[in-house]
Amino acid sequence: MATMSEKPQNVFGPTLSRRQFVKAGGALVVGFSLVGPEFLKGDAGKAATFKNSLDPTLPSSWIEIHPDNTVLIRTGKSDFGQGSTFTAYRQIVADELSVTFEAITTVVAGSTDQTPDGSGAFDFLGRGTPNIRKAAAYTYQALLDLASEKLGVPKDKLSVKEGVVSGGGKSISYGDLVKGQQLKLTIPVRGDLTGIMGLTIEGNPPMKPVGEYKVIGKSFKSSVISSKVAAKETWATDVRLPGMLHARVVHPKTLGSTLVSAGQVDKSKFPNSQVIVKGNLVGVVAPTEWEAIQAAEQVASGTKWTEWKGLPGNAKLYQHLREEADWTSTPVVKSDAAKGDVGPALESGHRKLSATYQLSYMKHAPIGPTMAVADVKADGTVHIYAHNQNPQALRGEIAMMLGTTLDHVIVHAYPGPGHYGRSNGGNAGAEDEAVILSQAVGKPVRVQWMRADDMQWSTQSSVSFSDVQLAIDKQGKMAAYQIDHYMPAMQDDRPIGAVLAGLPTMQAPNPKGAFVSSTANGIEDPWVYAGVSNVMERGHGTFQVGQKASPLAVGLRDHSMRTPGQFQQNYPRELAINEAAALAGADAIQFRIDHATDERAIGVLKAVRESSGWDTRPSPRPDAVSTGSTAVRGRGVSLMLRSGTYWACVCQIAVTPSTGAIVVEKYAIAVDPGIVVNPMQLKRNVEGGAVMGIGHALFEEMMFDESGITTDDWLAYPIPTMADIPEIKVVLLHNPKVGSYGGGSEAANALAAPAIAAALHDATGKIMRRLPMKPAYVQALLKA
Amino acid sequence: MVTITVNGVRREVQAPDDTPLLYVLRNDLQLIGPQFGCGLAQCGACAVLVDGKEARSCVTPVAGVAGQEITTLEGLPARWAKQKGLSAEEAKNTLHPVQQAWIEEQTPQCGFCQNGMMIKATELLESNPHPTLAQIKEAFTTSGVSPNLCRCGTYVAIMEAVQHAATIMAKGR
Repeated sequence: MATMSEKPQNVFGPTLSRRQFVKAGGALVVGFSLVGPEFLKGDAGKAATFKNSLDPTLPSSWIEIHPDNTVLIRTGKSDFGQGSTFTAYRQIVADELSVTFEAITTVVAGSTDQTPDGSGAFDFLGRGTPNIRKAAAYTYQALLDLASEKLGVPKDKLSVKEGVVSGGGKSISYGDLVKGQQLKLTIPVRGDLTGIMGLTIEGNPPMKPVGEYKVIGKSFKSSVISSKVAAKETWATDVRLPGMLHARVVHPKTLGSTLVSAGQVDKSKFPNSQVIVKGNLVGVVAPTEWEAIQAAEQVASGTKWTEWKGLPGNAKLYQHLREEADWTSTPVVKSDAAKGDVGPALESGHRKLSATYQLSYMKHAPIGPTMAVADVKADGTVHIYAHNQNPQALRGEIAMMLGTTLDHVIVHAYPGPGHYGRSNGGNAGAEDEAVILSQAVGKPVRVQWMRADDMQWSTQSSVSFSDVQLAIDKQGKMAAYQIDHYMPAMQDDRPIGAVLAGLPTMQAPNPKGAFVSSTANGIEDPWVYAGVSNVMERGHGTFQVGQKASPLAVGLRDHSMRTPGQFQQNYPRELAINEAAALAGADAIQFRIDHATDERAIGVLKAVRESSGWDTRPSPRPDAVSTGSTAVRGRGVSLMLRSGTYWACVCQIAVTPSTGAIVVEKYAIAVDPGIVVNPMQLKRNVEGGAVMGIGHALFEEMMFDESGITTDDWLAYPIPTMADIPEIKVVLLHNPKVGSYGGGSEAANALAAPAIAAALHDATGKIMRRLPMKPAYVQALLKA
Repeated sequence: MVTITVNGVRREVQAPDDTPLLYVLRNDLQLIGPQFGCGLAQCGACAVLVDGKEARSCVTPVAGVAGQEITTLEGLPARWAKQKGLSAEEAKNTLHPVQQAWIEEQTPQCGFCQNGMMIKATELLESNPHPTLAQIKEAFTTSGVSPNLCRCGTYVAIMEAVQHAATIMAKGR
């Protein structure tokens, strides 16, 4: 993936003031247009030419204001548990339109024929200006224009409160204003509807000043939580179509096996089952789910595959990455933060560190395996019913697979288990398989992966390692910092069923691939220690492990996962900074504060220092021990900037040297997203991310041998349970002077790992530069 | 043919005896609270109450629960109404205190595991109306055939919601 990160200083683009908008702004209203039709020629408006799509240039494709004063909003972003579309989006629109939260009665999300903009279920707050905010801001101006005309009062003499426009002693509600007419407004858009980022609304309409927010900042509840808890929500798993067949897929024996012969259904046992073979894709369909499961097992036992051993296996993974992977295939990416002359500064350092840090493959591991229902109609129209982070991208992939156009593909979006990034490029695994099987049998087909399919045939978060060199000068300051990140391509969006069936897909990741399909390893972790004079950060990319060797072109497919790329880069950086502080004989929080210049970074560090009860001193603690069967305690810190939000965390652990077992006892996180849109929802997101982070740090490691993934269930891939939950303190720093809001549902999962590793060093005096910190690995380190 | 009692209603189902209860509930009886998470009794997403005890419907053959009282997420409000002797009119508008607390604490994120979490909470609170934090952790980790797993990491919210539900239940409605 090239890069999705932003430079910290450019997080929020310039916006026009209300006055400037009035001057330039008539351009955005049809009938007074200066640039309307011409502007829309290029990319913009392209989506409007597809059937089964909304015209994104029409305001009603985004926001409907009804005569009864209720409001409906539409967004391509499906909810995956963040709750943003049901809470933050309502709040943002309510404030931009000057209506109440409750006035926004309906949120339409995800489905490709009912939403205008596409893009993935990530970055919901869109660097402070998600599409829906701009759509609301444009709509507000159009409503004021309409009211001005209707009331005969100049626009600048109007004010709006709770959906009622007043001025010159007269007033009218939005509902009465819009009765029987369309707003005179064209929404300018740019982008690729089925690309990972979808369409983006252009221009800079005036936004509501922060001081006038009435709805943003309050803890509104998520409506979808109520319907899920009461068993009233229709999930993707609940979709049942007339005549629908249940299916299971018999996946190949290895990640490089091709089909020799498919097994036959034992008709005496499974009279209604049928085997479908398309290339190397073997499916079994049956009228009932239980018959499909049993028949698929029976067919699998009779299916023959070629053998393949083309993977290094866990034990040789890092040796393979270091010595055999082709890092020269892909241009090196250099960070914008690079400055000074690192070489001589490293050379002349008073104290030096040279170290390598390793992260393992991790699974997204949704709590429900991927599933989808597909209905390929006789006229070629394809309906897909699924839970997917990017329905428009899925639509594009299915159209490509079938050699048809977007007009013929409709993706209906439903709730489902969190995917944590796995389907943000348009597929989670079962969707394309369901389409292929439905087309073959001429009926709707429901493909449900079993737990082992989901562990062994899905993508994973990419492995990586980083080489760090740094130097401390005689004054205890960091004089030079250099890091080289090595990571195979982290986003393979090829639908696996299409790959197995030999149908058209996008290219596998390669050096010439555009944006996310590139093997380039972009710098994802914004540098936050501006006080260091000599800095070099480089990203080295290559092909996925096994991608070229596998006869199926499969291998270990990777996919962005929560805090993608940045986790792989922030863990080595932050652990190295902890080591640098120790080398300097300095306190790890104070050392960071002394090297940061950004007051928001310093702010979260100070907040977490206070809330965690941190005692200022260098690590390791004076009485650190690495032997014995008595638990020893330590603490560590980490810092991150992501999507306009600053994060710091402190973990306090107890580790038992004789067993290597680490227990996180206390976990404090401070978050400064700028404006806190919804404190309750943000707090819940942060807590959840924090808990996931404990799993990443301590347990999660995908295991594989020379043929494929051996991790196949929850015993083989443990995640945190309630027993692992420490005392968690979340400090939300509402910082309105920032003037905008950053994201909050990522980053928290990445903070724990470097902080826990630093805490292990603090407690024992030994540094573990590898994730996860499983007891056996910790035990081995402490014994060494 | 197997006859089972679900949420107080006797239901005749055509499924073979060895069909896991989960598929009968979801596909034959349209009770969609329980979810398929692993099919291995390792996660708890499919949990139901069988005679008041949490059971994993993904590995429970339907014939094995004939004659026993099965309660799904859909049946929690009626279960509470019956326990409290609420009128039919009151019952219609009442969620189980566990469900109320889950909403008030904004517990779910994706929510896929929360069926099992609410079933486990109901089992716990029916036997222990005022559990300590340690008892809550024990219930959700070692009391069943496996821990109840949440990939979104909502355990803090679950612990707070269980305590909140206990308060609502103590008040009686």
